[in-house]
Amino acid sequence: MTDNRFSRRSFLRTWGLATAGIIGGGALAAPGQLLALSEPLDPGDPEVPNEEVARILKNLFGDRPIRKGHVSLDMPAVAEDGRVVPVIVESDLPMTAKQYVKGVHLIVDFNPDAHLAAYHLTPTVGSVSISTRIKMKRSTWVRAILETNTGEVWADYARVLVSLNGCG
Amino acid sequence: MTTSIGDARIRVPDRISRGDLITVNSIISHPMDTGFFRTAEGQPIPAFFIKDVVVTYGDQEVARFEWTSGISRDPVLSFTIKADREAPLTMVWSDNQGGVFQQSVNIAFISA
Repeated sequence: MTDNRFSRRSFLRTWGLATAGIIGGGALAAPGQLLALSEPLDPGDPEVPNEEVARILKNLFGDRPIRKGHVSLDMPAVAEDGRVVPVIVESDLPMTAKQYVKGVHLIVDFNPDAHLAAYHLTPTVGSVSISTRIKMKRSTWVRAILETNTGEVWADYARVLVSLNGCG
Repeated sequence: MTTSIGDARIRVPDRISRGDLITVNSIISHPMDTGFFRTAEGQPIPAFFIKDVVVTYGDQEVARFEWTSGISRDPVLSFTIKADREAPLTMVWSDNQGGVFQQSVNIAFISA
């Protein structure tokens, strides 16, 4: 009898876990399907750009590698109003006469004009710490890419959820 | 609010010493129309935006910001400057319909 009871308990436990797994999995999958219906999802990895962004990056930097680092792109994770989204770009790279950041590019992947802004700097600026406010059409990746006078290219990325389309 | 297009302000710290890294804050009044919107009567609103901002410090161009209509209306811009000389800091905003707006502040050091 004891054997029998034990095996029933273990059977129930296994069955219970399996059921929980199925229900849990189903609940997790549902929001993903809803999202997929409302708008096509972005590529999850910002280093795989869409066609338009790939063309812009090719024009700006050619075949030079775009590495992540030395830049910090500070943006809200959720932007309620896509017409006014604050952007702060900072960098720890030196700004001396010999070595400085000569350009900063802001690219918003799914905006009508994806290459949103280009900043051209000189050593007198002293540091890269630039803030402004931009418009965003929809939830996507924002790229801040900077170029040094020696030709190095550094980047940082931010995923921003946009509630209200700011581009019409 | 009785601001008209092109009204601009630049703010720098009150007390600046030689060699300070100062933050320059600026704002200009401009609609920054993308060209994608229409009026309530259905007339398209043509694109009307600032396309570049040039910053000169003394007689040297220190920074140039190229913009598109993706910058929000009444654009704010802040950046840093290494205050190594007493000279005027001038910003010139140019829009895509030929408008040119200028504003400047004087960078002067406090007498120690």
